[in-house]
Amino acid sequence: MSRWEYFVKRLLLTVPVLFLVLSFLFVMLRMGPIDPVAAILGPQATGGDAQAIRERLGLDEPLWQQYVDFITSFLTFDFGQSWVVQAGRPIIEIVVGAAPATLWLGFWAILLPLFIGIPLGFYAGLNPNSLGDYTASFGGILWQALPNFWLSVLALATLRQTRNGGGPFGFDWYAFGPDFLSRDISITGTPDFDWFSTMDLLFFPVPYVSDWTALAIDVKLILPPALILGSASMAAELRIGRTAMLETVNANFVETARAKGLTSRVIVWKHIFRNALIPLLPVITSEAFLLIGGSVIVEQIFNINGLGRIFFQSVTQGDLPMAGALLFIFTLIILFLNILQDFLYTIIDPRVGYDQ
Amino acid sequence: MSTDDRSSATPTGATDDGGGDESLVDVRNLQTTFFTDKETIRAIDGIDFTIDPGETVGIVGESGSGKSVTARSLMGLIESPGRVLRGSSIRYRDLDTVRSFADAFSGRTVSVADLESRYDPVRVFDQTAATPAEFGYADPADVPLVDVVAAGYGDEVGLTSGDECVFVLDGDAGDPSSIRRGFVELTRVSGEAQRKMRGGRISMVFQDPLTSLNPVYTVGNQIKESLSLHQGLTGKEATQEAADLLEAVGIPDARRRVNEYPHQFSGGMRQRAVIAMALACEPDVLICDEPTTALDVTIQAQILDLIAEIQETRDVAVMFITHDMGVIADVSDRVNVMYAGEIVESADVEPLFANPKHPYTEGLLNSIPGGQVGGRLATIDGSVPTPNEEPTYCRFAPRCPKAFEECEAVHPIPVPVDETADDHTAACLLYPEDESTEAAIARHRGRSHGGERE
Repeated sequence: MSRWEYFVKRLLLTVPVLFLVLSFLFVMLRMGPIDPVAAILGPQATGGDAQAIRERLGLDEPLWQQYVDFITSFLTFDFGQSWVVQAGRPIIEIVVGAAPATLWLGFWAILLPLFIGIPLGFYAGLNPNSLGDYTASFGGILWQALPNFWLSVLALATLRQTRNGGGPFGFDWYAFGPDFLSRDISITGTPDFDWFSTMDLLFFPVPYVSDWTALAIDVKLILPPALILGSASMAAELRIGRTAMLETVNANFVETARAKGLTSRVIVWKHIFRNALIPLLPVITSEAFLLIGGSVIVEQIFNINGLGRIFFQSVTQGDLPMAGALLFIFTLIILFLNILQDFLYTIIDPRVGYDQ
Repeated sequence: MSTDDRSSATPTGATDDGGGDESLVDVRNLQTTFFTDKETIRAIDGIDFTIDPGETVGIVGESGSGKSVTARSLMGLIESPGRVLRGSSIRYRDLDTVRSFADAFSGRTVSVADLESRYDPVRVFDQTAATPAEFGYADPADVPLVDVVAAGYGDEVGLTSGDECVFVLDGDAGDPSSIRRGFVELTRVSGEAQRKMRGGRISMVFQDPLTSLNPVYTVGNQIKESLSLHQGLTGKEATQEAADLLEAVGIPDARRRVNEYPHQFSGGMRQRAVIAMALACEPDVLICDEPTTALDVTIQAQILDLIAEIQETRDVAVMFITHDMGVIADVSDRVNVMYAGEIVESADVEPLFANPKHPYTEGLLNSIPGGQVGGRLATIDGSVPTPNEEPTYCRFAPRCPKAFEECEAVHPIPVPVDETADDHTAACLLYPEDESTEAAIARHRGRSHGGERE
């Protein structure tokens, strides 16, 4: 089996997973503890109103019919309407409205561990038991031990203190970069993406940045929550990166490379780096899963209207179709990350899919 | 001028290294020590041997006797906490190499005659820990300055800066083509010079072919890496050369194989590929560190044949390391038997097998399986000690069937086993055979390797 056959096989395997998740959601929605009619109209609803709702939701149809309808509608992203959170509004509309903020947060929260955690880990692994190694490793453990929600509250309180130069050395987060006070913007909130435009180039809409100041504002809004959201992943990637590096440095093929007379730069970047990435890859993608869970709390604290916050509200308020739709979307994201991981594996490691 | 020729002076001990100026690699008083928090391990404790052009030198001994550390010391692959100590010298005498290094590293090239005009070697012995004995002389005045400087003591007295690695014995250091004799001191090469040496002049085949190739690059890629580094070959030319090399080491369908990954090769094939890689730059010396240990017996024979064939067709000198006496008998011209970081016996292969002198060599030969059907295989009781303190006794004595009282008190040095056999030495108080035991012991007691001590 070649590498790419293996990849296609993994791709096909996601199909049954998707159906399993959908079936689980169906069972939860139709047979779960919450009666849809009661959730929409209140617990005492009876008579004609209730019957009308039942008919609108198709609850009188045979169960198999309901199942088929459910599956087809979810697969076509037709999630129906929200019950409680934004009652009556199509769920897909709500999701499309909230997704950019979460993606923006996730993007920065992934970037930080990737470009700070891994390089620090590799540095520590290449210089084991040095002062730099101890500092990085100790910092990593400390950083990982601090919970998201606690860090969020602490960070927010600290940033608010810096108003009008109240921070150490007169630091003022409000005035740092684009001034928030003069623009009358809160340091928490949802990015508005005003900087983003598309232009038609050869009949295709091409995205470009139309307003750099607006971009800076959006980056400044998202950096503190992203830093906190990415912190645990950053620490984990630092530690795994260090171990991976240490193991690879002592591999026999590294000695062979040295015996060839290669410079240490070539040895590190060509021979060690790529091999050290192999054990790191699943860590990176599984950390991305954690970001989804983490965004629920961080979005709530930093007042960002994103998917995480809506998920939190729909779960606490019993908005089952909303929660179901978001679960489905999270599943899609995770499946996509898994495929991405397999794809990267296939590129990095030629042994993938090789039958002994 | 023959400052380099030790045999012309009269050393008190008779450790003539046999190779003289003809040898390609001349290892003298090599000491490689590992400094750990707990202890100082003298992995190589003052060994001397030579490798002549085109010959195969076998190094044999049990696990832990220092064979691989010897190989890595030659390659400059010793890493912290290990270090090749001052007092050690590994001379590489290939004239082409000396000339090209003198050309490329003129700042690191010195003329020995020039040094001699500036400094009297006797003063070195007053000012440093060096002793004449470690160079094989009794009188400090006899010690050639080049020995002292090559061993690193010149740095200590300010004669050399620590950077010099090319020593010119005959000729003008500033004019490479005029050099007629000289050497590259491998214990002093570093940086660019070391990388040119490694893989370019001396290359190495490692023990485990399964792990000594990088799994994420094609075999061709890894061979081409060497080719571009040392011969400047790139692109199609390099691919062609890599395929030719694979073909030369007996890999069928080499043109296709060159684009395959190591995991698509069998163990024997991988070792062939590693050998092809080592040959990529037409080295003068090929160090084989137990190249057949991880392979099964039939493949082992094929690889040994391949190495022998390569040696014949490409005229490389081979340093063959193994713990297998049977393999040594098959491949070597000359054998050095190592025990606990020392060479305990050294001889040409026939005399060694026909007439082993050191009790350890006898023990090794007796424990070759297959000698007798049924019956128990002879073994040497115990295991190799960790050499973590200065030797004041024979390291093999605790396991030696012939040990006597003085073995606990006198550290034996390599001496000729008898008057007639100049190139058969043994480090054992029983030798020289033709002297009385008292005289022999006195001879062993009189000399010891010196060198850096800390």
